[in-house]
Amino acid sequence: MLKTPGWHLLIVWYFFLGGIAGGAYFTAAIADNFGSSRDRSVVRTGYILSLLMIGVCGMLLILDLGTPSRFLNMMMHFKFWDPMSIGAWMLGVFGLFAFVSSALSLSPDERRAALRRRVSLVGIIFGFFLASYTGVLLSATALPFWSDARLMGALFLASGASTGMAAISLLLYLSGDSAGEGFKKVKRADRFAIVFEMAVLVLFLVLLGSAAAPLTSGHLAPLFWGGLVVLGLVIPLLVDVLGARWVPAVIPALLVLVGGFILRYVVVMTHA
Amino acid sequence: MARTLAMFTDTSLCIGCRACQVACKQWNELPMEEPQWTGSYQNQAHFTDKTYRLVRFIEKPQPNGELQWLLMSDVCKHCAQAGCLQACPTGAIYRTEYGTVNINQDVCNGCRYCVSSCPFGVVAFNHDTGRANKCTFCNDRIHNGLGPACAKTCPTESIQFGFRDELAAKAEKRVAKLKEMGYTGAQLYGVDSNGPLGGLNAFFLLLDKPSTYNLPEKPLLPQRNVLVDSVLSVGAALLVGVTAVVAFRERGGKGAGDA
Repeated sequence: MLKTPGWHLLIVWYFFLGGIAGGAYFTAAIADNFGSSRDRSVVRTGYILSLLMIGVCGMLLILDLGTPSRFLNMMMHFKFWDPMSIGAWMLGVFGLFAFVSSALSLSPDERRAALRRRVSLVGIIFGFFLASYTGVLLSATALPFWSDARLMGALFLASGASTGMAAISLLLYLSGDSAGEGFKKVKRADRFAIVFEMAVLVLFLVLLGSAAAPLTSGHLAPLFWGGLVVLGLVIPLLVDVLGARWVPAVIPALLVLVGGFILRYVVVMTHA
Repeated sequence: MARTLAMFTDTSLCIGCRACQVACKQWNELPMEEPQWTGSYQNQAHFTDKTYRLVRFIEKPQPNGELQWLLMSDVCKHCAQAGCLQACPTGAIYRTEYGTVNINQDVCNGCRYCVSSCPFGVVAFNHDTGRANKCTFCNDRIHNGLGPACAKTCPTESIQFGFRDELAAKAEKRVAKLKEMGYTGAQLYGVDSNGPLGGLNAFFLLLDKPSTYNLPEKPLLPQRNVLVDSVLSVGAALLVGVTAVVAFRERGGKGAGDA
């Protein structure tokens, strides 16, 4: 007798692109702080990608309300324990960090780079937040397949990290920068993230037990198993680990992105 | 705060006339909607943005093969700990001075988070207005001492409205009496202020276990998961972060900004 909210594709896109924004920012921040000057393309791509995605995310959220001006109603109120409320605020705060980081990444000046690294160490917290809070938001509902595992936040975070990295490597590939050291490192980091996401997904399904049925045997189950598990996780990992050279480097990244979208799609669109 | 007002629905007195459902529609000016075939006399299948009061017709098979009617006029529970109210990011869902839960339509922005945050699936999204709707206990009426339309119209007094403490005492007496009469399954649902969700301000006397009426045996506040899932997310963030650092760190420790 429970109800799903009936959210549409705009929210699926928001969950997906929000994950990319968070994942891209934290990848850039880690490359900035722990990588070398050869990773500069990763840093710049990551920050700017996250800024653009945050902008799109904000528009998606506002459009979803049907009457855009009603978004202001959300800004008259703040509930620190409510993911829906705090999420709307944090999107704005994270946007500020992404803007500052992006602007500072355009300059080759070393003093600005030092400031940028420090800013990113705080911004990274908001990046992680944006990638995971949408999952926590679903956990805090009455629908068992969203809430009972209490791991939706971790699952979305892992997927956000992985899709953020995949998006960066895709952009590097498209800009002809796929031979560089940074590209290899992003791919390596994404491999770890995919493995981690698989582990979280298994744990998520185990914890859900019979409550997982709407996802694993519901009307979108073929998409869940075929699209997310096989296409989005297993194949990109196999291609990467086996080092299949005949597969263009861009294919696993694309598959990871498709899988990340399907994860959000299946989770949001499955009926209770 | 004024004394808490509540609604006591004694399902043993319900005759399934649906006068409450009609009275609710009329007072709240709720338009007609497509009827739904549920295989029984019940219509709609569940609460909608145009059905705040709903008489459930439950057919329970008896040992002798016959069916027994279980009738229940269902409504928003106005929980003392309300998932919808906690979820609402705009503050549109608020608690009135009588302890009831109401949605301020002017403030609701249509995010629909409350819809899936109700443990009973009561709140519904209205596609015409782009806002959430549910029973208000006839907020306008109770602020003028009239009592909700459904309770006012109920011909058998299956639905009673009044001060919560008085109604709870009445309910306890009634359930004891029914048990005496041989209705062994008779039980109260939601009356206990120390029970699930801090007690329901619309509580029920049922003739069978709650699940027979499609009610959750132990409704839980959805927001209980926020802390646990947040902590697990932070753990996941740390793990992912460490693996990314490993991936990006220069071998030989020549990182540009080793922090």
